[in-house]
Amino acid sequence: MKNLGLYIHIPFCVKKCNYCDFYSLGCVANGGIERYTDALCKHLKKEGELYKDREVDTVFLGGGTPSILSVELIKNVFSAINEGFRLTPSCEISLEANPGTVTEEKAKAYKQIGINRVSIGLQSVNDRELNVLGRIHTLDGFEESYRILREAGIENINIDIMYALPDQKTDDFIKTLDTVADFEPEHISAYCLKIEENTNFYKIRDTLILPDEEEQYKMYEALCNKLAAKGYEQYEISNFAKKGGRCVHNLKYWTSQDYLGFGPSAHSCIDGVRYSYSESIDEYVNAICEGNNPVKLHETEYELTEEEKMDEYVMLRLRLSDGVSPEEFENRFGVRFEKRYKKLNMYEKSGHVVKKHGNFAFTPKGFFVSNYILSDILESI
Amino acid sequence: MNERQKHIRNFSIIAHIDHGKSTLADRILEYSNAVSKREMEEQILDNMDLEKERGITIKARAVRINYTHKDGEEYVLNLIDTPGHVDFNYEVSRSLNACEGALLVVDSTQGIEAQTLANAYLAVDCDLEIVPVINKIDLPSADVERVRKEIEDVIGIVAEGCPAVSAKVGLNIDTVLDAIIENVPAPKGDENAPLKCLIFDSHYNAYLGVVVYVRVMDGTLRAGDKIKMMSTGATYDVVEVGYLNALGLEKGEVLKAGEVGYITASIKTVSETKVGDTVTHAENGANEPLAGFKEALPMVFSGIYPADGARYNDLRDALEKLKLNDAALSFEAETSIALGFGFRCGFLGLLHMEIMQERLEREFNLDLITTAPSVIYKILKTNGETVYIDNPSNYPPTDTIAKAYEPTVRANIITPTEFVGGIMDLCQDRRGIFKDMKYLDATRVELHYILPLNEIVYDFFDALKSRSRGYASLDYEFADYEESSLVKLDFLLNGEVVDALTFIVHSEKAYARARKIAEKLKDNISRQLFEIPIQAAIGSKIIARETVRALRKDVLAKCYGGDITRKKKLLEKQKEGKKKMRRLGSVEVTPEAFMAVLKLDDSEK
Repeated sequence: MKNLGLYIHIPFCVKKCNYCDFYSLGCVANGGIERYTDALCKHLKKEGELYKDREVDTVFLGGGTPSILSVELIKNVFSAINEGFRLTPSCEISLEANPGTVTEEKAKAYKQIGINRVSIGLQSVNDRELNVLGRIHTLDGFEESYRILREAGIENINIDIMYALPDQKTDDFIKTLDTVADFEPEHISAYCLKIEENTNFYKIRDTLILPDEEEQYKMYEALCNKLAAKGYEQYEISNFAKKGGRCVHNLKYWTSQDYLGFGPSAHSCIDGVRYSYSESIDEYVNAICEGNNPVKLHETEYELTEEEKMDEYVMLRLRLSDGVSPEEFENRFGVRFEKRYKKLNMYEKSGHVVKKHGNFAFTPKGFFVSNYILSDILESI
Repeated sequence: MNERQKHIRNFSIIAHIDHGKSTLADRILEYSNAVSKREMEEQILDNMDLEKERGITIKARAVRINYTHKDGEEYVLNLIDTPGHVDFNYEVSRSLNACEGALLVVDSTQGIEAQTLANAYLAVDCDLEIVPVINKIDLPSADVERVRKEIEDVIGIVAEGCPAVSAKVGLNIDTVLDAIIENVPAPKGDENAPLKCLIFDSHYNAYLGVVVYVRVMDGTLRAGDKIKMMSTGATYDVVEVGYLNALGLEKGEVLKAGEVGYITASIKTVSETKVGDTVTHAENGANEPLAGFKEALPMVFSGIYPADGARYNDLRDALEKLKLNDAALSFEAETSIALGFGFRCGFLGLLHMEIMQERLEREFNLDLITTAPSVIYKILKTNGETVYIDNPSNYPPTDTIAKAYEPTVRANIITPTEFVGGIMDLCQDRRGIFKDMKYLDATRVELHYILPLNEIVYDFFDALKSRSRGYASLDYEFADYEESSLVKLDFLLNGEVVDALTFIVHSEKAYARARKIAEKLKDNISRQLFEIPIQAAIGSKIIARETVRALRKDVLAKCYGGDITRKKKLLEKQKEGKKKMRRLGSVEVTPEAFMAVLKLDDSEK
C-alpha cells in the first residue's frame, strides 16, 4: 500500500514577521479562525474519501502559526484527519509552534491527540535581533515554551533559527548556535535570511545592512562545523538532526514522494501531478462551504516531460546530503545518470560535489552555491 | 538649352539632422499633388523603418514632381533626396552633382550646425545654386531674422527674402516651390551629344534586378540600348527606362539630357553600379567619364559574430542581402578564438556601422556579438613590406614594425561658446591638433581639429554631446595617414588572451585605458566558483589587473511546504541569464562586454 503525507496549512499569526512571505494573516475577525477550521475539517473528510487505499505516515501542521489554535480547534482538526484518513501507528505528526502561543493546556492536548513532533520558531537568541525580525517573543519566552513542551512529553523537537540577519556578525550567530545546541533539540533547521518581495523587510531593503557574502559564508561554515561537533548531522541544505531525528515529512518533498496539502497556498504532489490552492482564505472557505472543491492551480500547464521529471528529481535529491543515487535514478528513468549529468564530475574536482557510497552529493561548500551548479547541470529547467 | 529643359528643375534638400528635411520633402510632394493625401505616408522618401525611427535618411531617393507654376507654365521638378550624415558624404556629393540647386534647410530655433555647413560647402563645391529655407517658424523659440543673418554671415549667400516655412504645419510651402522655379537654374546638356549619365543611387529589386538611378547629363537613352559602366567597362542591355514618381517606378520611352530617371538592365548586384560612375553607350559612347568618381572606402571595421554559432550561415546570407543594396558595406569571413566564426565588416563610419548592425538584428532577426570598432592601421614592417591592419588581433609584433601609421580626420565642431573650453580639453585629450577657431556669431564657435580616427571611434561623439549638453555638432572627413606610436593591448581572462578584446591604442594612453577597460570588464563577467583574474598586457608585460571574486553563496535555503515552484523559477531565471552569456574558455561574459569596454564613464566625459 502506498503511503501519503498530509500538509495542513494554518494561515494565522499573532503578528506577521518582517521577513515572512508565506501566506498568513496577522489578524482575523472574530470567528474567522473557527470558520476556517470548520471548512478545513470538511475538506479533510471529503478528500479522504478519494484516498481510502492509502496510509498516512506523516502529518505536518504548518503555517502561519498552528499553535495559535485553541485546544478545541486543534482537536477538531485532528478528529477530521482521523475520520478522513488512516494513519499508521508510527505516523510522524508535526506541528509548528511559536513562543508566546504555547500553553501547558495546549501542550498536554498535543500529546494526547498524538502530535509527536513540534517545530518551534526561535530564529535567534539575541533579543535585539528578534525585535528586528518582528518576532513577538524573547529568548525567555522561547525557553518557557520549550520547557512546557518537553514536560508534556514531546520527545522530538525542532528549533528553527536564521542567520545573515541585519547587522548580524558571525560571532552573534555562533552565540545563537551554541545556545540552541545546549537545549539539545532532536532537530535544528537553519535558514539564511533572504529578503523576499511582499515583506516588510523588502519595503525597507535599502536601509538594511546585511552581512556580505563572505560573512554569510563564514556563518554557514560555523553552522555546519558547530552542529557537526555537537552530534547533528546535516542531512539537507538547511536541516540538521541527531541520529533518528530527520523529519520524515519534509523528506517526502525532496524524495519525490506523494503528499496532499490542505488550506490556501498549500501544495500537493500526488501520482505525478503537482498542484496548489490559491493564496486566499476566503476563496478556499467559500468553495468548501458551497460544497465545492477549492480550485486547483496547476504548477505547470502541461504534463512534465520525462526530462523535466528527471531534472526535478535530481534538483530535489541534491538538497539532501545523501545526494542522488545513480542506480536508483537509472531504475526510475532508464537513463544513464552519469552521462546526463556528466558536468558533476567537474564540480567533484573543484570540491563542490562528493561521491559517497556511490551517490553524488553536494559538500557543505557545494550546498552554499547549489543554485549556481544546478542551473548549470540541469538541462531542462 | 531647349524648351523641354527650360521646364525642368533638379534639386536636393540638404540640412543638419533633425532640421526638418524629410518633413519638408513630404510637404512639397503633398502640396504639388505628387501624392494624394490618402497615399501620403509620413515621410515617404524615407521608406526604411529604421530611417523613420532615427529620423535620418540613409539612402538617397528621387521623385519626379509635376507642378504648375503661378505663371501658368508646367514644370517638372526632380527632388533628389540625400543622406544627411557625414558617413555618407560621398553619396551626398554625387546626389548634389545630379542637381543644379539645393534647398538648404535651417532650423529657425537652432541656426547653423556642423552638418549645415558641411553640406552647404559640398553644394558650393558642386556649383549649385543654394536656396536657403528657414524652417520650424511655428515654434515659439523661432528666430527667423537671426538665422537669416547667420546664413548670410557664415555661408555668405543671400538669405534676404528666402522662404520661411513650417514644414510640420504646412505653412508657406508654395514659396519654396516658387523659389525653386525662380532661383534654381534649368539643366543644360546636349541631348544629341554622346551619352553621359551620372549614377547617384541604385537599389536591388527582386523582380527587376538592380534599379539604377541616374541623371542624364548629355545624350539620350532608350530601352534596348547597349550601355557601358565607364569605371569597369561592363556592358548591359537596357530593359527599361523611366521616371521615379512618389509611389514607384513609372515606365517611359526615353531619358534625355537634363532628366532624372531610372534604368534596369538585368544587373545582379548594386556593386556593379557604383555611385558616381558614368553610364554611356557601349558604342559611340563618351570618351571621358564625368569627374569625381571614387570608390566608397570603408573607414571603420568591426567583427560581427552570431551569438548562436549555428546561425553563421544566416548571418552570411543577411550580409549578402544588405550588400545588394549597399556597395559601401564590406565583409569577409574571420575566425575568433573567443567568438567563433564571424565576419570582419567595414563601414563608412560609426553611424553606418550602427545602422547595419541594427538592420541585421531587426530585419534578419539575428542576435549579434560585435567587437569594438577599429580603424585601418598602416604598418611599414622592418622587412620593407607595408601591411594594412583592420583587425587589432592581427597587429604585428612590435619588433617587426619599422613605422606605424594611423588614419586622421579633419573634424569640424560647432558649439555654443560656453562649451568651448570643455570641448578643447576633450580634443586635446584625444590627441587632437588644433587648427583654428571661428566665431559664427556672438554665441557660437566653429572649431577645426585634426583628430586620429581611432579616438573618434572611442566614444568621441558621446563625450562631445555630454560636454556640450547635447548642443555641439560634429562633422569629419578623412585627412591622411600619420605616423604614430601605437601599441597592441591584449586582455587576458583567467590567463588566456581573448582575441576579440584586443585593441590598438596610442602608447601614452595605454596604461590609463588598460585600467579603465579592466574595470569595465569586471562588471561584465559573471562570477564563478573560482576567482577570475583580468589582466591587460602589452606583449608579455602586464600593465593592469582586476579580479572577479569567486561566488560564495547562491542558494535557496528554504524549500518549504512542498512548494518547489519557487526554486524552479529561480533556477529558470538563472538559466536564462546564463544562456545570454558568452563562454570564453572557462569564463562567461555578457555579450555587451565587447562593446562595453568602449563606453566611457562620467569621469572621462
